[in-house]
Amino acid sequence: MAAVTIDSLLQNPTLLFRPKAKVLLKPPRSLDCSRNRKLPLSRGSCLCSFNPRRTIHVVRASSSETALIGNFDISSSDDILYKDIFPVKRIEKGKFFIRLDRSKDQHDWQFTVGCSLPGKWILHWGVSYLGDSGSEWDQPPKGMRPPGSIPIKDYAIETPLKKLSEGDIFHEVKIDFNPISEIAAIHFVLKDEETGAWYQHRGMDFKVPLVDYLEDDGNIVGAKRGFGVWSGALQQFSNVLLKSEASHADSQNNSIESKDSKNKNRCLEGFYEEQSIVKEVSVGNLVSVAVRKSPETGKVVVCLETDIPGDVVVHWGVCRDDAKIWKIPAAPYPPETTVFKNKALRTLLQPKATGNRSGALFTLDEEHFGFLFVLKLDDNTWLKFKENDFYVPLLGTSSVPGQYGQSDSTSEEISSKSYTDGIINEIRNLVSGLSSEKSLKTKKKEVQESILQEIEQLAAEAYSIFRSSITTVPDEVVSETETTKPAVKISSGTGTGFEILCQGFNWESHKSRRWYMELKEKASEISSLGFTVIWLPPPTESVSPEGYMPKDLYNLNSRYGTIDELKELVKSLHEVGMKVLGDVVLNHRCAHFKNQNGVWNIFGGRLNWDDRAVVADDPHFQGRGNKSSGDNFHAAPNIDHSQEFVRKDLKEWLGWLREEIGYDGWRLDFVRGFWGGYVKDYLEASGPYFAVGEYWDSLSYTYGEMDHNQDSHRQRIVDWINATNGTAGAFDVTTKGILHSALERCEYWRLSDQKGKPPGVVGWWPSRAVTFIENHDTGSTQGHWRFPGGKEMQGYAYILTHPGTPAVFYDHIFSHHRSEIASLISVRNRNGIHCRSLVKIVKAERDVYAAIIDEKVAMKIGPGYYEPPSGSQRWSLALEGRDYKVWETS
Amino acid sequence: MEVSVIRSCSQATNPKTELGFSDSRFSFGKFNEKLFSRKPNSVSFESPLRRGKSGLRITAQAAQSDRLPKSKSSTKSKTLNRIRLFAGLPLDVVSGGTVNQFRAISAGLKALKLLGLEGVELPIWWGVVEHESMGKYNWSGYLTIAEMVRKAGLKLNVTLCFHASSQPKIPLPEWVLDIGKTKSNIFFKDRAGKPYRGCLSLAVDELAVLNGKTPMEVYQDFCESFKSAFSAFIGSTITGITMGLGPDGELRYPSHRGFAKSGTVPGAGEFQCYDKNMLHLLKQHAEACGKPKWGLGGPHNAPAYSELPTANTFFKDHGGSWESPYGDFFLSWYSSQLIAHGDRLLSLASSVFSDSAVNIFGKVPLMHSWHGTRSHPSELTAGFYNTATRKGYEEVAEMFARNSCKIILPGMDQSDKYQLKESLSSPESLLAEIGTACNKHGVGISGQNSTVGAPDGLKQIKKNMLSENLNDSFIFQRIGAQFFAPEHFPLFIEFVRKLNQPELYSGNLPTKEGTTTTTDSVHTRSNLSIHVQSA
Repeated sequence: MAAVTIDSLLQNPTLLFRPKAKVLLKPPRSLDCSRNRKLPLSRGSCLCSFNPRRTIHVVRASSSETALIGNFDISSSDDILYKDIFPVKRIEKGKFFIRLDRSKDQHDWQFTVGCSLPGKWILHWGVSYLGDSGSEWDQPPKGMRPPGSIPIKDYAIETPLKKLSEGDIFHEVKIDFNPISEIAAIHFVLKDEETGAWYQHRGMDFKVPLVDYLEDDGNIVGAKRGFGVWSGALQQFSNVLLKSEASHADSQNNSIESKDSKNKNRCLEGFYEEQSIVKEVSVGNLVSVAVRKSPETGKVVVCLETDIPGDVVVHWGVCRDDAKIWKIPAAPYPPETTVFKNKALRTLLQPKATGNRSGALFTLDEEHFGFLFVLKLDDNTWLKFKENDFYVPLLGTSSVPGQYGQSDSTSEEISSKSYTDGIINEIRNLVSGLSSEKSLKTKKKEVQESILQEIEQLAAEAYSIFRSSITTVPDEVVSETETTKPAVKISSGTGTGFEILCQGFNWESHKSRRWYMELKEKASEISSLGFTVIWLPPPTESVSPEGYMPKDLYNLNSRYGTIDELKELVKSLHEVGMKVLGDVVLNHRCAHFKNQNGVWNIFGGRLNWDDRAVVADDPHFQGRGNKSSGDNFHAAPNIDHSQEFVRKDLKEWLGWLREEIGYDGWRLDFVRGFWGGYVKDYLEASGPYFAVGEYWDSLSYTYGEMDHNQDSHRQRIVDWINATNGTAGAFDVTTKGILHSALERCEYWRLSDQKGKPPGVVGWWPSRAVTFIENHDTGSTQGHWRFPGGKEMQGYAYILTHPGTPAVFYDHIFSHHRSEIASLISVRNRNGIHCRSLVKIVKAERDVYAAIIDEKVAMKIGPGYYEPPSGSQRWSLALEGRDYKVWETS
Repeated sequence: MEVSVIRSCSQATNPKTELGFSDSRFSFGKFNEKLFSRKPNSVSFESPLRRGKSGLRITAQAAQSDRLPKSKSSTKSKTLNRIRLFAGLPLDVVSGGTVNQFRAISAGLKALKLLGLEGVELPIWWGVVEHESMGKYNWSGYLTIAEMVRKAGLKLNVTLCFHASSQPKIPLPEWVLDIGKTKSNIFFKDRAGKPYRGCLSLAVDELAVLNGKTPMEVYQDFCESFKSAFSAFIGSTITGITMGLGPDGELRYPSHRGFAKSGTVPGAGEFQCYDKNMLHLLKQHAEACGKPKWGLGGPHNAPAYSELPTANTFFKDHGGSWESPYGDFFLSWYSSQLIAHGDRLLSLASSVFSDSAVNIFGKVPLMHSWHGTRSHPSELTAGFYNTATRKGYEEVAEMFARNSCKIILPGMDQSDKYQLKESLSSPESLLAEIGTACNKHGVGISGQNSTVGAPDGLKQIKKNMLSENLNDSFIFQRIGAQFFAPEHFPLFIEFVRKLNQPELYSGNLPTKEGTTTTTDSVHTRSNLSIHVQSA
């Protein structure tokens, strides 16, 4: 026994530690420097990215859901068929520079970055040391950090750019350093805090080498690249070399043992480079469009108005179909209209009598499909809609009048229609409008995900209406059926949609060595609280007692109990009507034997794989497989899922677990470690009733403060779910993170995203989001990321009333929270809240968040005041606790 | 690499806490640095070593991807892409001239469009459109639907339903039922004389029983009126018209009535030749054959609806009457009447819509219970003279081919393994049999699932889509609460996406560029959006 333990320790140096903490060290994803990523210049324009080649002066606009329409007088009449308001954004152009020169004392060097555009500029930077491989960053030595710098995790520094004096054009930051140090290069990206935009160099970080033999990854700026050969193809630039003094640094005291001759010639050359930079600035102007039907003539009147000062010319036309090809409609035209190149009409907007606005009315025959326009402000400034023409649908509003008898809200109908239409058109544009393979790929991906989310929402809407109007008519003579069938089996990996999950263990559960038996005692109790699914700890033999370092997958005697006890537990859980999830660790596996080099990578037991089953890119384990398809977990050999025999064996194992133990589904550990497509394969083979993956990485923070917008974080989780083809859900880490900030700092406004939806995965893909506030890693005795103390019930009031599949942690069930949790679950079940229920956020303010779910349950969390409206629905208080309340309709 | 092992040893001795962990990891990095800096060459930069503490990896991408297999296209997925996918609208989507659940339908259509479906199927009921009196048609609700479908950018397959529905309840036109009250012989009757009010008997097709008109004339007027009302849609939005041919729209006799109880073995069904007009035709035929005694009624030794085939001697596997000269006489006549009825209706549809660019479909049932016996009782009572010794679907396929019509086959979701063993049922082999006959005569096949659902139904549908049994389109039945329910709709999305995705093994594996592209590659694997474009 002792020998086994020692072996295990040797091969798994970090066995006492769960892998989870390290993932928190990951930088925000927008820093990922792979080459194919587009410049993340703006958020929100997920379907169309800014393309800097087109024009220099571009003004962009995006549709807004805000009800600003009151500012415009066109909204008053009842017969409005369509209206929308677009806030106008202007692209500002400026430049930023990079300079490397000697400081005054001629000993140290100084690195300067400056930017001429107004904004809250941050230099996000790090260094690499001599001898570093790859391009990972390290934090610079303390002495190098300018005042005001803030460390970001352990790899970067953020330093704000400041104006040295009021009159300066540039915001600057200066970094002094000693060339004798071991620093090989400075890496940086520039960030604008105002817009959250990152400025990178061709999709990578900027890299300023301080030694001359650095590998050129294509992102090197200045120095040895020669004079002006920096081929910054993406943006205009000028490159002025100021001076090229060589500094022969004294290397005698160099801490590096320098037999390397190259190290002796650390020649630094000063340089200066400028690069142009663009930024989107909201200028506070609006363009509004309204369409109405003239009762007298039967014609359609498009009314366009804007408060943009000066002369505004509108280029416009109509189209016959979704292809949106510009056609010139029949006269009459408004005054000041000319035909432009036989393609469009141009009309000068006329100043209005009141206010500083200008506008025009366009009268059209009703058969036109849509109205297209762009605005031109001066010779170089065009105003478009997300790089496209503005499009106003006409036909959807008039063709079959009166027959949409049950359409109760016209404007809602149209707005959701135009959104969907937008997506469909976007898909069309993919074929016609793009030449670049790369952007096609990116766009397709984004479009596809919007589509899936949109489909889910539409389906949820359709479902709620259909469900509410099912009429059952008793059967009569007429028909016949061919045969009878057993009930349809669900195996989507997502259950019925009405599941509530219980995590049935904590970090200490293994200690008693009879957890299975202890849990068995509680089975009926847990079931009676309303849980439908329970997640059991990892069952296999493991090098670490908690089970997350599996060794022989077919040996199910663990610190939690024996295989027979496990079967007994599963049986009794089934008897009380619960489904059982097995915690399966597919990412890594601990080896039984050493290879000839003494490295632990040969497996034993029933799955006696050799080192071909281990990924090749973790040198600790000398795998002979392919490279990993995900992140590596460094404490054990990572399994190479691209190997056919590995997949076959794992599928067989999962099947065996289903058969032998009776597991109904899976909780998948550390799925960041391999491609979601393999998960899809495993799930299709094992046909689970429910499956959820742990895709845990860090949220985006700026200056230690969490960003409001966590779209990129939830996007990564959605990406993973998508890669599994939706066969598995994922833990909604985003929601947990946002709840942390909202509750801890009294910032409840964070709980609504820019579109007024829940800001976590649950807002985008509710049926695949498994919401939770704590688990064995974040809480329990590990506490890697503990939920704000004393506010757990607010967290549960949120997840147990909202869509998604809520998961409750064992420690919370068996605590003083128990009765409150039970009450919340019964409210959820009583009102039939399911994973795709519709949320209407009614308040997201500093100290209170309130929402109405499926028009049946209202809830608020936070110390602030909220009461549900006393309208047609009668609300009665169902539950009340510290800083939360839940109502249901009576 | 020796180093890492040593390192592991030393590390294993102390770290207990989180702090210890991260510290040692950090020093581990340093450790390597020192190691490499002692070796004065650039090898260290090519080392694949990663410290793995962050996702910031710019390390040479070409090197990382060269060992991964390149993508190959799958022949399987190509086949699947040819099949156009439709979904059926609710049976009661229109009642009394208005659209029910307008918003749900509207949202549903958008969802289906985004999902990449070709279109929807719309059942148009005789009992709704020509409800009040003969020749008075109300198309308005259906026109609204057609317009919605057009706007959604979808295609429409219209089913003209000359039958009634029990669930939801949509009876035949009131005026027809009124006539039936006095003249019950316009309906099929079973041996007990009980009429079937779900459709008219095929024996009255050409008798002037409806206010001086024959049912064929009434059907024709209906089709003509439909054609003129929907002229703006036919050939553009409307690409297919399915002609109702009998009970549940299917070409068959109503040989089974009512719902079988769940879990029970279905009976053999009953012959439906007992209405006055059928008996008359039988008598004429018997006399023409010189066997007047055979024309007095149906087989006396056939079992009743819910009785097992073995309950009487007609269907006996060996020596049953079905194999006797009488059996052959009766079954030939019984099935030829059905085929002649189908021929009349399909040629009517073909001629009415001959100048329109639409496909005409007719639906043939999948009477798969008792298919494992020699006599195939369920098929025989339904009107298909198909036994272990006779290929009865040849004539059916030939009739469809003659009228240039395509065939709709339901039950594509049924697999043999979920059938009750005692019923000797085999949907798969029956489907293959009909498929073979259709392929032989060049008749296009459109599939449908059974409305009651089947375990692993979607899997079976996909299997059929890959086979010869299906080559035109598939109509998924049908939209409604159940369809969009959280327990079903995700499965359907998955199903549709799979149709457009190559299999994992033949598809491309992730090409790796940092951590982001693994997801990119997944997206390129899917042809979903491309599918939508081509729609």
